[in-house]
Amino acid sequence: MHSSIVRFQNVFGFFTTVAFVVAALIAASDLIAPRTPSANIAVKDVQVVKGRPHYYSSKKEEYAIIKFSLSADLSSLLTWNTKQIFVYVSASWPNSTSTELTNEAVIWDTIITNPSADHLQNIGPVAMKKLIRSAKGKSIDPSRGKIELKNQKAKYQITAPTGKVAETDNVVLKMHYNVQPWVGILTWTPQVEFGRWKKVKGGVSKVFKLPALKVKKEEKKA
Amino acid sequence: MLSFLQNPRQAAAQLLNFGLILSTAFMMWKGLSVLADSPSPIVVVLSGSMEPAFQRGDLLFLWNRNFFEETKVGEIVVYNVKGKDIPIVHRVVRKFGVGEKAKLLTKGDNNVADDTELYARGQDYLERKDIIGSVFAYIPFVGYVTILLSEHPWLKTVMLGIMGLVVVLQRE
Repeated sequence: MHSSIVRFQNVFGFFTTVAFVVAALIAASDLIAPRTPSANIAVKDVQVVKGRPHYYSSKKEEYAIIKFSLSADLSSLLTWNTKQIFVYVSASWPNSTSTELTNEAVIWDTIITNPSADHLQNIGPVAMKKLIRSAKGKSIDPSRGKIELKNQKAKYQITAPTGKVAETDNVVLKMHYNVQPWVGILTWTPQVEFGRWKKVKGGVSKVFKLPALKVKKEEKKA
Repeated sequence: MLSFLQNPRQAAAQLLNFGLILSTAFMMWKGLSVLADSPSPIVVVLSGSMEPAFQRGDLLFLWNRNFFEETKVGEIVVYNVKGKDIPIVHRVVRKFGVGEKAKLLTKGDNNVADDTELYARGQDYLERKDIIGSVFAYIPFVGYVTILLSEHPWLKTVMLGIMGLVVVLQRE
């Protein structure tokens, strides 16, 4: 049969087959690209203060405000199939009964887009112009994978469901990443080495203890 | 034209063929569901709250088994809020405790605030059972057809009509 319907079906079928094979090849190319990320993270300042979860709440909770320094090199993660890297710093701490790190909360995060995905970012027009200009003519820009943060304030103030975090011991900061591909498998900070994908060199801070609740000076005087 | 009136045997064969295609698709979907242990192993992104990672219409593959480790902070999960039937794709940003009863908090990368406001009344955290899978693979744009179909219901009628016409007009 050579009716137009059959021809259309054949063309469409061939198109989808080719598209999926090409997509699979692109996704598989991730495995060939070596990944050798490294990071150095240090706690700079920690405070614990009382606050409310939001303006209209009457609940009082303790919040840990953490400042940290991070210098990381994630440039090897930016390849032609990378859409963005989601980099996040989390604080982990154990329960009172165990030493296992059973609690974890993200305190800071950022999105690093490959120049090919810049137009998808949700930022203001001025910042967008600057971002696009920073990588003019490049579709891959590994230099964006370098992060230098000094005394960075956490984006998210952490607390626990009990509302008590003061004097928590054995807290540790860790840097993680999540590579978002244009097509294929999403990958996170590996726990084991896998082919050419190495574990993060460093990326874990020294263990520290949250301080006691900061008391306002007026109350001290009284 | 209208060959099924003259040849009922052929019409029956066509009907069987059509049924075969439908049941194969259904079996593949259910098989994937069993493999991934998720009621919905493939989802289409419906909102922009995870941009720039996911746009509307992108296809996500879910995995709902914890072979090696528990669902942890940083994973992108799909969950259903109690009493609402819309699956939400967001990232886990906090986890307190371990096991089934661990408290999980999610946030969309593109949202300023976490999801506490999205959860049901009186629900401050998710539990593992609220999650129907973690995203492990991604194909852009392919799912946009389903968004078009649900936003313009007349397209469904048109598509069904065309399919019916093709089945009826096809000789062989």
